[in-house]
Amino acid sequence: MIVADTALPRSRIERWRTAGQLVRSLVRVHPKPFIIAVSAAGVFALCTVASSVVLRWIIDHVIDPRFRAGHVATSTVLVGLGFIVGTGMVRAVAVVVRRGMAGVTRWRIAETLSGDIIDRLVAQPVSWHQLRASGELAARAGVDVDAAVDVISPLPYASSVVLLIAVSAVWLVYIDVPLGLFSIAVFPMLIALNLSYQHRVDRHFTAAQDHLGRLSAAVHESFEGVHVVKAFGAETRETQRLASIAADLRSARTSAVLVRASFDSALNAVPALANIGLIVLGAYRIRSGDLTVGELASMIYMFTLLVFPLRLIGFALSALPHSLAGWGRLREVLDAPLMPDPADSLVVAPPELGVSFRQVSFSFDADRPVLTDVSLDVARGSTVAVVGTTGGGKTTMLRLAAGLLSTSSGSVAVAGGDRSIVLQEAFLLGDTLRENIAFGSVFSDEQIWAALECAEGREFVAELPKGLDTQVGERGVSLSGGQRQRVALARALVRTPALLLLDDTTSALDPSTEARVVANLRSALSDTTVLMVASRPSTIALADRVVFLHDCSIAATGTHAELLESNETYRSLMEAFEVDREAITASLEAPERKDS
Amino acid sequence: MDEELGGRMGAAQILGRGVRESPLLRQGFGFTMLLAIIGAAGRVVIPIVVQQAIDHGFVRDSVNMRVIAVLATVSSATIVATSLAQRAAVKRLGIRSEGALYELRVRVIEHIHRLSLADHNDERRGALVARVTSDVETLAEFFSWGGLAWILDGALMVIVAAVMLSYDWLLAIIALAVAAPLALVLRSVQRHLVDAYGKARGLNADFLGSVTELVTGAETLRAYGAGPVLASRTKLVAKQRADSFIRAGFIGAYLFPSGEVFSAFTVSAVIGVGVARGSAGGLTAGALVGFVFLTYRFLEPIAEFTEVLDQTQTAVAGMRRLLAVLDLPVGPPQALQPVALPDGPLSIDISDVTFGYRTRGEVGDDQPVLFNVSAHIPAGQQIALVGATGSGKTTLGRLLARLADPVAGQIRLGGVPLTHVSNEQLRQRLVVVPQEPFLFDDSIAANLEFALPGTSFADLERAVTALDLDDWLLTMPDGLLTRVGERGTQLSAGERQLVALLRASVADPDVLILDEATSSVDALTEVRMARALERLAQGRTIIAIAHRLSTAMRSDRVLVLEDGRLIEDGSHEQLLAAGGHYSQVFAAWVSSTS
Repeated sequence: MIVADTALPRSRIERWRTAGQLVRSLVRVHPKPFIIAVSAAGVFALCTVASSVVLRWIIDHVIDPRFRAGHVATSTVLVGLGFIVGTGMVRAVAVVVRRGMAGVTRWRIAETLSGDIIDRLVAQPVSWHQLRASGELAARAGVDVDAAVDVISPLPYASSVVLLIAVSAVWLVYIDVPLGLFSIAVFPMLIALNLSYQHRVDRHFTAAQDHLGRLSAAVHESFEGVHVVKAFGAETRETQRLASIAADLRSARTSAVLVRASFDSALNAVPALANIGLIVLGAYRIRSGDLTVGELASMIYMFTLLVFPLRLIGFALSALPHSLAGWGRLREVLDAPLMPDPADSLVVAPPELGVSFRQVSFSFDADRPVLTDVSLDVARGSTVAVVGTTGGGKTTMLRLAAGLLSTSSGSVAVAGGDRSIVLQEAFLLGDTLRENIAFGSVFSDEQIWAALECAEGREFVAELPKGLDTQVGERGVSLSGGQRQRVALARALVRTPALLLLDDTTSALDPSTEARVVANLRSALSDTTVLMVASRPSTIALADRVVFLHDCSIAATGTHAELLESNETYRSLMEAFEVDREAITASLEAPERKDS
Repeated sequence: MDEELGGRMGAAQILGRGVRESPLLRQGFGFTMLLAIIGAAGRVVIPIVVQQAIDHGFVRDSVNMRVIAVLATVSSATIVATSLAQRAAVKRLGIRSEGALYELRVRVIEHIHRLSLADHNDERRGALVARVTSDVETLAEFFSWGGLAWILDGALMVIVAAVMLSYDWLLAIIALAVAAPLALVLRSVQRHLVDAYGKARGLNADFLGSVTELVTGAETLRAYGAGPVLASRTKLVAKQRADSFIRAGFIGAYLFPSGEVFSAFTVSAVIGVGVARGSAGGLTAGALVGFVFLTYRFLEPIAEFTEVLDQTQTAVAGMRRLLAVLDLPVGPPQALQPVALPDGPLSIDISDVTFGYRTRGEVGDDQPVLFNVSAHIPAGQQIALVGATGSGKTTLGRLLARLADPVAGQIRLGGVPLTHVSNEQLRQRLVVVPQEPFLFDDSIAANLEFALPGTSFADLERAVTALDLDDWLLTMPDGLLTRVGERGTQLSAGERQLVALLRASVADPDVLILDEATSSVDALTEVRMARALERLAQGRTIIAIAHRLSTAMRSDRVLVLEDGRLIEDGSHEQLLAAGGHYSQVFAAWVSSTS
């Protein structure tokens, strides 16, 4: 995804300061592995310089004497070789520790941060979630955390590069002042070259990423709408449209390659040319007796070793804007004030009532009321159907009673004991059926089967080879809408709630199954108060009482038959429900098939 | 998907075919390689200069400045020339590979669009999108990094080995022999690494899935107080994910410096043997120092090679999946010698049509969905196809639209066999309105214009009036310019149906195949839809795949399908009088509504 650059601080200094804050905040979460990684990086830097010292010593004390004087002591040779292997090994161990511990730092910070976000997501009430797109919230704990901590991984190495540059600069000057100064002068040039490369190429990479995102979305849409594309013979047109996005992607990538080609060859050529400069200068210093051949070779070697680390500086910096953006987004979630739990504002209803609304009003914003001055008493153990047009506040009433939303004014009282709500769209975890019904609590298999029986779900679950242990979702069985609804219903029923809230729950079932479910409910849970949103006349007729919501308030209450008789609006609404819709398919499918 | 199609081909065959399919890649490849080799040669200049300077420049406590000057001039020129060659090679490779990827992507897109609808179900959509995006991306990454490394680093290693051999064959062999086991070590570590990352990626997917559940199920979780339980479970997965990535990171950390460990041993061996032999074998001090530099150069790319190898495997797998998609046969073949359809409303003849969905890979396992269905539909007749789910009514609709061809039998449109009608003409004269019409994330106008590109705004407005939908359009905030949102979600299901009907009317077809919606629609939209449909039906042949008996009642003729067979055929009244299946269903319906 594309990082919103607008969220980034404008000025360079400000950006560095923000970057510093980001790193400090992240490292503070798990400082120990980070310190170990940075220390190992320091050892690595020192060993790198040491290996060039060793090379100088070998040339001057082993190779030169052997080839000029004809002999060298075996012990000297062994010491030299020991040094090579020794520094090589220490350097290797340091690399392992540095890289490994950098990984530990990065992933442990990610684990802690995503844990914090998860806690926050769970703590915030439904009204907070409703204001935000679920896909984006999921991204906060996932990709945004990963983006934020991405800045950590290259840090130990980058710090060792800084140390390496400092130590080797001192060492180079110590060996020979003029040559040392010459080499040091090349460093800034190489760094500048790297930074400018990163800067130029990033622009193309960002553009390419942008085009890829566009292409991905467009391809998805085009394939999703393939019926339409085919219906109008638009295959060629669509291919051309997508091809033009692919062409943008191609040109951004090609530009990146062209930049890279030039800089890659420059980054190879500049150190090589600097090395030649060192040899020429070194020749003068050797002639004047100020430098040995070994010293010169070690300087050239040192230089070669520095080129690769220098390249990484640009790389480490390139991750920064991405990380800052991710960090900013996850702070939005972490810093959002915790909203009060609406369930805390529910009061206990008198013993004869299941649920009671007292002058309840609710609105999401001031000029769009959802419920106005609603008062309703529902007797304990009775079944009440809430009926009304789409968007008429039916679901809101249920959510208020469930303690998922709090009223704008007025109060809601509920009987003591469990409240279970079954939403219109059944939510199932990618887990076993047993887990989906127990849902965090513990119930015996008998209890679960009984609940399934009541929800008319026993039969289909029993037919599954693994029964209650069947995994649902992506990695398991995909259930039909009606089956999912029955599992969600069993989840509510297994808790034998004092108050059962059904939000058009049974509409995914065919009318006869729905009727059986409602009948089962009444016989199995005689003490439970049921408040259900319903749209099918056949279902509504099963309720003891009907509450007809119209224009944000209760227009009428009574039995289905009474309302049909007395209320004109109610009657026309019932007629508009068009019972025939499912009737044709349902009766054609008789005897009842497994599911719709 | 369909891994098995290309699964039998080896990696080399896959790459070979990939290159054959992309002629751009082969263009001027020989010259590019030559440039790459010259470029790689630039990287051994410094070791050679060091050797030459030590052996010929710094002789016996004096310095031959002439030699140094010549060396400096020649080597500087070589470095400039070789880096220009390298730059040219990278550019050529980049331009050509990006071009080849573009062509491949467009080909795959076009091919997927032409696949039959049987290959386009919901489960496969993600996979098809992945072919065009992530699979091509694995190739892009390979070309811009792994493939380049094969060529540049491969050339470098060959040149370094050649220079080593020219200095001293014995030392060269020792250096190569000591370094050789590194390849084995790297290979085995790399295998562990791939496994470790595979596991880590799996846990990463679990973690993201768990977080998504936490967010999408927020309301249910809160209602049941199950949030904390799922949160701690998600955190456990987060911990496992961290553990697995850390483990993979450590394995990767071993991989990286193993090149250095081997360089240390190789350099020691070279120096040890070189010093022991002395100048007896013709070895010079300069050559020995040069050897040390060359050894580092030789082993430098090796650590990278393991990553490259992994990338190559990924790219081959991506290529294999791409080729498998290109191997899928496209939908019904184009008519070779198209016959023009007669003007005016079209009749439809269905003669002994049998159809079964192709079960991929296993021929003969086809379950017939339609058996010997025959019917003559005169031009302008309004037909309702009625039947339970799975009766074959939707399939028959698809065959009439030639989204698939019958296994046996024939369908004629206006007397012309469907297989002889050109795709362009068929789509102009016959339009399908699907059950859940898909709208593009654009304005209503753009969605209507999709049916007939170039239709003027005024004509679109006229189409709205013609279907008597002006009152509906007034409810849209920006009229025809109202944006419909992703998949049209800014509109209600019923409104999406209205747009689909309008879209069909813009195409002005002679035959309309209408897959009726089952989803509930509010009463007002329902009225508008019935009104629009009535207007749209005038003067056209209509095949409605009916889910409501009221639709059947309104049509001229009802075809009742059961288990793929046409069991009743006649007008609503005739079928009721006949007392068959239809009359029973109708009776049940009437009793449930009263």
